[in-house]
Amino acid sequence: MTGKARSRQTRDAERIVRPVSGWPTLGLGRIWRFRELLLFLAWRDIKVRYKQTVLGVLWALIQPVTKMVVFTVVFGRIAGIDSGGAPYAVFLFAGLLPWEFFAEAVSRSGNSLVAAADLMKEVPFPRGVLPLAAVAGVLADFAVSMVILAGLMLAYGITPHVELLLLLPLTLALVLIAAGVGIVVGALNAIYRDLRYALPFLLQVWLFLTPIVYPASAVPEGLRWLVRINPMSGIIDGYRAAILGAPVDGVGFLVSLAVGLAIFLLAWGLLARTELYLSDVV
Amino acid sequence: MVQPVICAEHLSKRYQIGRLRPEYRTFRDTLAGAVVAPFRRLRSFGRPSFASSDVVWALRDATFSVRRGEVLGIIGGNGSGKSTLLRILAGITAPTSGQARIAGRAATLLGEETGFHPELTGRENVLLRGVILGMARREVRRRFESIVEFADVARFVDTPVKHYSDGMRVRLGFAVAAHLDADILLIDEVLAEGDEAFQRRCLRTMGEASDAGRTTLFVSHDLNAVRRLCHRVLRLDRGEIVDEGSPDRVVDRYADAVGGAR
Repeated sequence: MTGKARSRQTRDAERIVRPVSGWPTLGLGRIWRFRELLLFLAWRDIKVRYKQTVLGVLWALIQPVTKMVVFTVVFGRIAGIDSGGAPYAVFLFAGLLPWEFFAEAVSRSGNSLVAAADLMKEVPFPRGVLPLAAVAGVLADFAVSMVILAGLMLAYGITPHVELLLLLPLTLALVLIAAGVGIVVGALNAIYRDLRYALPFLLQVWLFLTPIVYPASAVPEGLRWLVRINPMSGIIDGYRAAILGAPVDGVGFLVSLAVGLAIFLLAWGLLARTELYLSDVV
Repeated sequence: MVQPVICAEHLSKRYQIGRLRPEYRTFRDTLAGAVVAPFRRLRSFGRPSFASSDVVWALRDATFSVRRGEVLGIIGGNGSGKSTLLRILAGITAPTSGQARIAGRAATLLGEETGFHPELTGRENVLLRGVILGMARREVRRRFESIVEFADVARFVDTPVKHYSDGMRVRLGFAVAAHLDADILLIDEVLAEGDEAFQRRCLRTMGEASDAGRTTLFVSHDLNAVRRLCHRVLRLDRGEIVDEGSPDRVVDRYADAVGGAR
């Protein structure tokens, strides 16, 4: 019972322990081997979120719907922001929902390493699994809220159009940026515990620097550069264009995708390099 | 000549004082430092930086090997580097220099937290550890009963581990390490948390594991257990291996050196 040799063992028979030097390989293959762990953690995250609330799965629907109503009334009617012809609710949420995914994913993956500190101090596994699982969990919420948005669109009489296909590459870019930023925040949070307190504020600032509540055209010429260097701008604009059926700014989107990929790879490399150090300080 | 299961060469680990139980650094300070000397920061990012007066060598030049099925005892005073050695071999922390080759998956029981995610239940944590070791879920479920029985936590198996007592966590930790598929066991000193009956069960299990071909590294202050269970013993002192040999001889010499009871 306590230990026949496994034939599986020959697959990764030998491990070498050595000091961290230079920039280690990305180790994406290792993550693939630990995919079961990733799925387990993501699934468990989703289960807990919905089990713990009294309303359960219903909460996944009520929350975005309520928010839609409140925001539409406040920003659409009261603040009177001009959404360029499209129904304000759809305009708002086409941009807000991907942002919410980003903010929540960064928050959760930012905390994922610290939350699993006990596990990290004792059990060896690629630490990247933790933030990735957190992002996967939030992706489920995002999917639900996008379904609701689809319902909203139909209610406003917006029929399905070919631009919607762009949502797939857009979502990929979104996930890459969220995962990249989330990993960096997660590692930094493990090292510097005070970061946790600044994060909600930083995300708020980032939100206002992204044309979500307002269209990009509303930004005065002098401040446009701020919006342009923000990788989330291209993504949000892309989502809005795809959902409202307007032409997508191809260049803006590609730039955002490239930036997102760069952020992710950099973050991943950073984590690979600091992984073992994190166990010492977390 | 049979290949050793573990082969360590000149393993060393350096810590900055204050980092062993770290006070948390603040991002604010580091940011200020980055502004002042950005490139120094970048080059050494992720690696702790040392002022030479602040360092402590937790482990220095450890070289040894372990054969399949062997139970290697590791003894020594507090701060001698025993836990650091196990953590390095487990792959949880990196050595500062030197290297080790390890053939096979290692299950660990290293500290009071015992490698569980506090928010997950006992049941979920068992599955988690199994999945991390690369086992199929079916396989983990098959072992689940014996794990829970060994650890005697049946009533609390669906409670989050953060509510467990230290003793329960250790019992479950050992049960998981011993019953899941691993060729190597790295056990550090936590068995003292359990009661007499539990400790006897653990020792018996480790003996059986050794007979079945599993290799065990056993760090302990319980010199009697070390004598009874181990095939060979290493003694560490201030990070260095100072003695090696048969359990009785090494333990006797250690007891003499410490001046205590045998």
